[in-house]
This record gives sequence, C-alpha cells and structure tokens, in this order.
Amino acid sequence: MQITPSMAARKRMRRENLIGYAYMMPAILFFLSFVIFPMGMALVTSFTDYSMDSFNFIGLSNYRRMLQDRVFGKAMGNTILIVLVSVPAVTLFSLWVASLVYKMNKHASSFFRVVFYMPIVTGTVAVTVVWKWMFSRYNGLLNYVLNSIGLINGNISWLGDEAYAIWCIILILFTTSIGQPIVLYISALANVDQSLVEASEVDGANNFQLFWKIKWPQIMNTTLYILVITTINSFQIFALIQLLTSGGPNNATNTIMYNIYYHAFKLNEYGYGNAMGIILAIVIGVFSMIQFKLARSDKE
Amino acid sequence: MTSAIEAGTTPDIIMEGPERLVANWGAKGKMIDLSDLWTEEAKADIDANSTAVGKASMGSDGKYYEYPLAMTTHTMAINYEVFEKADALQYLDLENRTWTTENFQKAMQALKDDGVAVTGIVYCGGQGGDQGTRALAMNLFSASFTNPEHTLYTMDSEAGIKGLQLLADMVKDGLLEADAGIAAGDELQLFANGTAQMTWAWNASNAANYAASVTFTPYAMAFPSDDGVPELAGGIWGFGIFDNKDEAKVAAAKKFIKFVSDDSVQGPASVYATGFFPVRASFGDIYAGTEKDANKEFLIFMPYLGDYYNVTPNWAVQRTEWWNLLQRIFAGEDVQTAVATYANNVNIK
Repeated sequence: MQITPSMAARKRMRRENLIGYAYMMPAILFFLSFVIFPMGMALVTSFTDYSMDSFNFIGLSNYRRMLQDRVFGKAMGNTILIVLVSVPAVTLFSLWVASLVYKMNKHASSFFRVVFYMPIVTGTVAVTVVWKWMFSRYNGLLNYVLNSIGLINGNISWLGDEAYAIWCIILILFTTSIGQPIVLYISALANVDQSLVEASEVDGANNFQLFWKIKWPQIMNTTLYILVITTINSFQIFALIQLLTSGGPNNATNTIMYNIYYHAFKLNEYGYGNAMGIILAIVIGVFSMIQFKLARSDKE
Repeated sequence: MTSAIEAGTTPDIIMEGPERLVANWGAKGKMIDLSDLWTEEAKADIDANSTAVGKASMGSDGKYYEYPLAMTTHTMAINYEVFEKADALQYLDLENRTWTTENFQKAMQALKDDGVAVTGIVYCGGQGGDQGTRALAMNLFSASFTNPEHTLYTMDSEAGIKGLQLLADMVKDGLLEADAGIAAGDELQLFANGTAQMTWAWNASNAANYAASVTFTPYAMAFPSDDGVPELAGGIWGFGIFDNKDEAKVAAAKKFIKFVSDDSVQGPASVYATGFFPVRASFGDIYAGTEKDANKEFLIFMPYLGDYYNVTPNWAVQRTEWWNLLQRIFAGEDVQTAVATYANNVNIK
C-alpha cells in the first residue's frame, strides 16, 4: 500500500503530539494531583460539616453561615481593601522605578534590582521580625523618628491600633511585593522596539506620548501578568497577618486566608474553611477576569 | 497534628497537655484509653501532689487519655530592683510571694510616682501566654474562669467583670499599659530588657531561659487577689497514645510511657529534662543540688495551683475570644457589654 504524503505528515504530527504530551505528563500529573484534585475535594467538602469527628452532607449550610458570619464579612472587606490599595500601588510604583532604573548603566541597574528584590529572597519571618521591631510601641524606629520630627506626640502601638494596623500590613505587603514587578518591568522596557521609539521621536512625540502610545502597548502583557499575580498574592495574604496581628485588633486585619486557617486548623472546621476557600477562589477569578477584560480592551 | 490526624499519619505517642489530649483529640475518639496505667498507686501518688492533675487527665466519658509526667504553675514576675527603688516591696508578701489587689494598686501607684514609664503591659495581640492575662483578671476579685463542672465559661460573673473593669481603669489611669499589638513573647522581651517592670507570663522554664540575659532580679510572684489567696493556672504535660489500630504498638507504647514516667531513675530524669515539676509526690525535689537548683524558687507556688479549666468544651474558640475581649475593653467598649459578647460566643448553647 502506498502511503500518501498527507498521511505521512499526519502520522508524524501524531507522533510529535504524543512525544509532546509525554514530556508534559509529569507536569500534568503534578497539576492534576496537587491542584485540580484538591480543588475538587475542597468543593465537595464545602457542602459537608467535615471536622475531626464528622463528615455529613449539609448542602449549602456553610455558605448560608458565611452570609451571617460578621467576622467573615469583616475579613472579606479587609481583603478587598488590601487588594484595591496594594495592586495599583505596587503596579504604578514598580513601573515608575523600572522606568528610571532601566535607563541606568549596567552596574547601577543591577544594584537597584538587587535592592528591590532583596525582601523577596529574605524569609518572611525575618522580614516580619524587622518590621515588628520598627512598629514597636516602646522602642520602635517609627515612633522614634516621628516623635523626633514632631509629627506625633507620644508613642503609638501601630499594630495594636485599629486605625493604623491594616495600613501597616499594606505597607509591609507593598515592600515585599514590588521586587518581582520591578525586575519584570525593567526587562519589558528594555525590550521595547527602539525603531518605533526613534520614529516617534523623529515625528515629534513628547515624553508622555512616547510612553503612552509606544511603550505602554508593548509592555501590556507584562502589566497584565503583574496585575494578576499581585492580585492573587494580595488576596492570599496570610503569613504577615499570622505573624504580626493574628487578625486583630478587633478583626481590623483579619483576612479571608487567615480566617480559613483559623477555622480549618484551629477549630477543625474543615468544611466551613473549604467553603470560604471556594468563595475566595471565585472572587479572585472575577477580579482576574475583569483585569484581563480591561487589559484586552486597552490593547485594542 | 491536625494535618497528621486527617492524613492518618499520627505518631503512636505524643506529649501534650490535657486541653488537646483529653478535651480535643480524646473527646473525638482519636486517643487510646489509658485507664490501665492509672493504678491505685499512681492515683494516690499523683493526688498527693494535686487532685487537679487526675481530674484534668480524665475525659467526660470517664476514660483517662493522658498519663501525666510534669506540671508547673504559671506565675508573674517583677523587676525586684525597680520595686525596691520605688519603695513598692512593702506591698508584697515576700515570704509567701503573694499580694492583695489593694496592695497591687498601691504598688503600681508607687512605681508611677517614682517615674516608671511602663509598669506592666496587659498584652492582647494573640493567644500566646493568655494564661497570664486570664490569671490576672480572674484573681483580682477571685472570679472563677469556668463552673466546677467545666461546662460553662463564667467570666461574666460579678467578680469577673469587676476584675476586668479594674484593669480597664488602671490602664486609663496610667497605672498599667494595654497593648493589642503584642503577645506574651514580646512582653517577655520587654520585661527582660527592662522596658516593662512586670511580666504576666513567668514560669520555671522562662526563668531559666532569661536567666543569662537579664541585668536585674526577676522575682516570681503570684497574681494579686482580693483575699491574698491566689489561684494560679497550671501546666500539665504528659503522654497520650493515638489510636493507630495496632494493638502491639499500643502495648509497646504503654510500656514505654510507664517506664519514662514511673521508673524510679528514669521518671525523675524525664521530669528534670522538662524543667518543670513531677506530678508524682514520691519523686520529691528533683532539682536540689543540680544545675537547675534555681527552679526550686517555683516550688512555693505549687499550693496555689488552681482548677485546670482548660478542658472545658470550645476551648480553642475561647482562647481567641479572650484576647478579642481584652482588645474590645481596652479600645473603650463598655466592660459589661464586651463580656456579654464574649460569654455568648464561647458558651455552647
């Protein structure tokens, strides 16, 4: 039987596909086992009263309980506040820093990249301990400086005061979140097509037009990635809360992730904790979709 | 442990306190009944030291889920030299290490008059060391934290509210500080570096840990009480066995626990390693003449060991609600209203 070229091509393509899937198989298995399967389990158990000594189907009771749970409402409000403040702040600050740093010479650029990336490679606990000392009411740096310059009169318990605690958390989150976006933006700005930049300069574009019409569209994919990653990280804020405030004072810094941990691991209410996790996943999904939509329309 | 229990990978033996071994895991059917280890001899020996230990080791179903090894009382401590300089030692019963609520207030006033900026800090930034703030609030007017049956939290009693109100008033008057930004670990550091002149989170273990780093004399005291008779929170540590469905392992684990806890040579050596005190009266003073001789300072507090109420249902919820209660009170909420919210949240209807 004579093999036609198209059949041979199809056969080759099928073989290449199979080889491709074989290479991906370890990652796919890992993803299915440690992401998809636990997500499915979380969804199923969110309809149960799963705890250390019980596992009964209770329908939507966990979700109804969430609606009446004042602490959950407070935690959701705090989480959304953190996201709404930290995501634009991190993105804009990173873009500003990157736009200054990428023009510098190699050594200066490397130095600033190391400086801004440092909090990421430093352990969260170590970063937290340093911030805790700076915020200390009794011998903290912040009180010392602000008292010295006359901005405050007397020491403040920054992490123990409802008015300040959440803003302190946002500040720490900000400093630990900007490293990666800055490095990504420096790289993206360096990759902007220079022929377009030069052409627009020849055409008489000013700096604002140059950025907005030429550079911004070309770094949009990076911006979208940064927005989505920062949004997810901000929604999942946990370690800072656990190490610094335990959600206090008076739930002023309680977040959904901390609330999930509290119910699942302190009270052994796994079903309720998973139901909160499902809601958090939906909220993150909605925020990410909105960001994709806005970025796409911006690109068009 | 929560993850291990759910994954079915628990160890056979665990060393913990009754609030987890008995009231949590035992009550949920995860632990082996250790009643056969509690021989008449063991009961008599342990009861001779404190009857609270046996009560705490037994679940509401009458089974023992803990075989105890060591115990301690949680005390507070003062900076001796600062109190001496402020002439505040006159308000302390140095022989019995006790003081009355009235004298406590006078001592704080003396410190303030002497220019001390931070006398003591009522920390409420988390559950770490919460036994200290509970003992402080309870003892001021001899309130009970729970009912004797351990079924109800009772700080909404008149004595409980009075104690919390006094703390709020003392903070308002500058005789004490309150801080929702720190827990016991931070407060201990502030005591050790001389910023605060008292700590509510002292015991033999902390005394040993900070002995080398302090430049003053940390002087252990019982919490102040209106009648001068304090009731201190206790720590009881012992062994439990997880039900891993292996009879042979259970038998081996019991044999091991019995040896580690009861053997005339190994038993005292095991307690010595903990830095606390034997639950068995027959072990006597295990620290005399050793490098941990300083621990005997805490023996004086053993008679003040109060009810071990940590086995009351909803304990995990109570721990969080307690520091939240303190935060609300020190943020200015009416004490009675705050305590009513607390009682409503912690007591199972």
